[in-house]
Amino acid sequence: MSEFKIHHRSGEGVSVIDLKGYLDAHTAPELENALQKLIEEKKFNIVVNCKDLSYISSAGLGVFMAYIEDVRKNRGDIKLTNMSPKVYNVFDLLGFPILYEIYKDEQDAIKKFQDARSVQS
Amino acid sequence: MSRLKKVLYVTAALVVFVTVFILDVIRHAVSFDLDGILFIREGAIIGALFLLYLSIRAAHAEHPVGIPKNIGKLLIYSVLVLFLASLVSFVGRGTTVPEGTMTPPQAALASLVSVVFGVVLGLFSISALLTIKDLLLHKRRKGTKRNFILYVIALLLSSLTVLPLIPSELSVVSSVLFAVAVVMIVVNSFKQNWIVYLSRREKLYSIVYSALLFLTFVGLSLLMTQNPVSRALDTFHLPLRNFAQLNAIFGAVYFGMAFISTLFHLPTAEVYERKQSELTSLHNLSRLVTQVFDFTDLVNTVTAMTLEVVGARSAWLELIREQGINGRVAVDVVSNRNISPEQIELITASDESSLRQYVLDSKRALLIDDIRNDRRTKHITKSGVTVGSLLSVPLISHGEPIGFLHATKDFEFGFDQDDIDVMTTFADHVTIAIENSKLIAKSLERERYQQEMMVAQQMQKRLLPQRLPKHPTLEIAAVSEPSLEVGGDYYDFVQLRGDRLGVVVGDVSGKGVSAAFYMAEVKGIFQSLSKICDSPRELLLRANQSLMESLERKAFISLLYGIIDIPKGILTLARAGHCPMIYISGLNAQMIRPTGIGLGLTHEQIFEETTQETAIQLQKDDLCIFYTDGLNESRNGAGEEFGFERLVQAALGARYLSAEQIKEMILTEIRNHTGDSAYGDDMTLVVIKWLGHGEG
Repeated sequence: MSEFKIHHRSGEGVSVIDLKGYLDAHTAPELENALQKLIEEKKFNIVVNCKDLSYISSAGLGVFMAYIEDVRKNRGDIKLTNMSPKVYNVFDLLGFPILYEIYKDEQDAIKKFQDARSVQS
Repeated sequence: MSRLKKVLYVTAALVVFVTVFILDVIRHAVSFDLDGILFIREGAIIGALFLLYLSIRAAHAEHPVGIPKNIGKLLIYSVLVLFLASLVSFVGRGTTVPEGTMTPPQAALASLVSVVFGVVLGLFSISALLTIKDLLLHKRRKGTKRNFILYVIALLLSSLTVLPLIPSELSVVSSVLFAVAVVMIVVNSFKQNWIVYLSRREKLYSIVYSALLFLTFVGLSLLMTQNPVSRALDTFHLPLRNFAQLNAIFGAVYFGMAFISTLFHLPTAEVYERKQSELTSLHNLSRLVTQVFDFTDLVNTVTAMTLEVVGARSAWLELIREQGINGRVAVDVVSNRNISPEQIELITASDESSLRQYVLDSKRALLIDDIRNDRRTKHITKSGVTVGSLLSVPLISHGEPIGFLHATKDFEFGFDQDDIDVMTTFADHVTIAIENSKLIAKSLERERYQQEMMVAQQMQKRLLPQRLPKHPTLEIAAVSEPSLEVGGDYYDFVQLRGDRLGVVVGDVSGKGVSAAFYMAEVKGIFQSLSKICDSPRELLLRANQSLMESLERKAFISLLYGIIDIPKGILTLARAGHCPMIYISGLNAQMIRPTGIGLGLTHEQIFEETTQETAIQLQKDDLCIFYTDGLNESRNGAGEEFGFERLVQAALGARYLSAEQIKEMILTEIRNHTGDSAYGDDMTLVVIKWLGHGEG
């Protein structure tokens, strides 16, 4: 079983979190910490890249729910990208595509953030 | 030795002595010589004395008392014997009557005196010898016991050679043996190890006792060489006199030496006592290891004992929190005595390097004799810390430092090598105690957790239907297998108005006690709303409404709710983020997946817009399969999921069987897939087979 890893990138006003491996009840706190930290640093434009995410459980899904409200309140967003069909199916079953913006590619999400900013300014 | 044996021995000895007494009275009054009787008499006395020796030895071993008390007891005996000897000496003064010419009363008195005094002296000698033996063998070395046994052999042989039956030519041998015994007495008298281990108080007692014992033994030795004591002894038993005399000499020499040794040892008593108190403290701490479970109590006891063990002015205990950046350590001061945290910070931390670092680098104790003039503590001089010397030892567990124990004294050069040794040993005990206390806390926590789990599991079990509804037109089979921990799977049935049956399967996010509580909440909501809401969609909308308020943000619940209108054979279905229903009609399998978001994820508007409802007209032998994701996500050893495909195939393959058999077939397929690897998640499976109204 591949282990869960979080990698962190930021640039152009957008923070990218790379997820890898299994996101379940055991590994969810790691993602929680990562999101918490971004919020504390007032970085509300967040892209979560799920390219190497092989499994997500309900506890993993719950992490996004825990922070989305705070982020959106601060005019930010959590956008999800690069999901494998299997992972997408889990998100989809629960109705996440209605609640979250999900993109095929990370760049699309980043571009969306930048567009939104230029509209604002 | 058993009581009976002791009584027997003493009685036998008494009988012998009384017989000897009667025999002696006759012998005194009527002069006659009979070697045979004499031979038996001497033999009987030796035997009786031996029996008494056995009894005394047993009593000695059964009631051991401390060393000073033992000597004290011997002193009392010796004074009594000395008194008795003086009495004999006084009474028998100037009475020299040739043997065989005594009047009967005279003979009786003389015999009585000789037998009684002989027996008492015998008892005393044996007892004195045993007491000295105990002292001698205290902390014995290799030759100690051998030397003592050599003395006893010389003593016994020299005593036996003076038996009246032995030819007088052997008197030279007897003298030689006597001399050997005296030499062994001197050799043995150098063994005074017991004195070292006495406390100062005990040493003072021992000085007085030794001096008095020396005097009484000298007195006894002198009295025994003179008439009438010697005569009284000789008439009773010649060897006894020899035996008692040698032992009296032994007593005098040994306790004389003891007196001198104790006198010399008196100045070291204080040092010894300190060592003793250090040992006692260490011992107390080792006991605490098993007694103090509470961490705070433990660390406070540790600092209190540090003060005691090395006589420090202040002490504190630090535990390493984490290995900080640049190798610097972050510590928590968990207990401090007579020193404030600010002062601790002043003492231990300097700009360039911390004192702790010195200890960590060497993994050994750090002693700073003169804080004001030590280059490692230059930083302290400026501040107002009034500390003279400092001793810091690391707490090392499995080669890794876990903390530090520090002690200070107000004056310079306050700690010596002994203090370092003691503190180091002490630190080892502390380490074990702390590790233990952590382990205990952890295991308590785990126990509590397991208990909570058990309660949650029982609760969960009771929340699931205890029996399945029975209906002539459909078959129902259901199973819910929780994973190792408590999961959040839920299924339920409800009988509704108009001959309708409600079926619900759900999954509460998360695990454990909170999942069990949410499940209870969902059951409550479902049971009450299902009676009010006519359609599944309506129920989901209302359930979402009430759950949005009560669920924590990251929690949500997926639900699949269907109502079967039995007269019409129509299944109406709504889904809130749950796994789709598998619908099998003939050879055709379908995933029935009306759109819908999980409960507790979003507010009513979006939820209402999204949630749809679908209806199916059921045909005879149609299968409706409700399940939770634990089922299709069951993984084998290679991490491969069971998946929807296998699930559908398993159901299709078994479609002509009963609902119960279909359920079993699916479970078997899953087990075949997962092999030995345990189910990761809990899984629930509900199989409904529509039998129809017999129209087919």
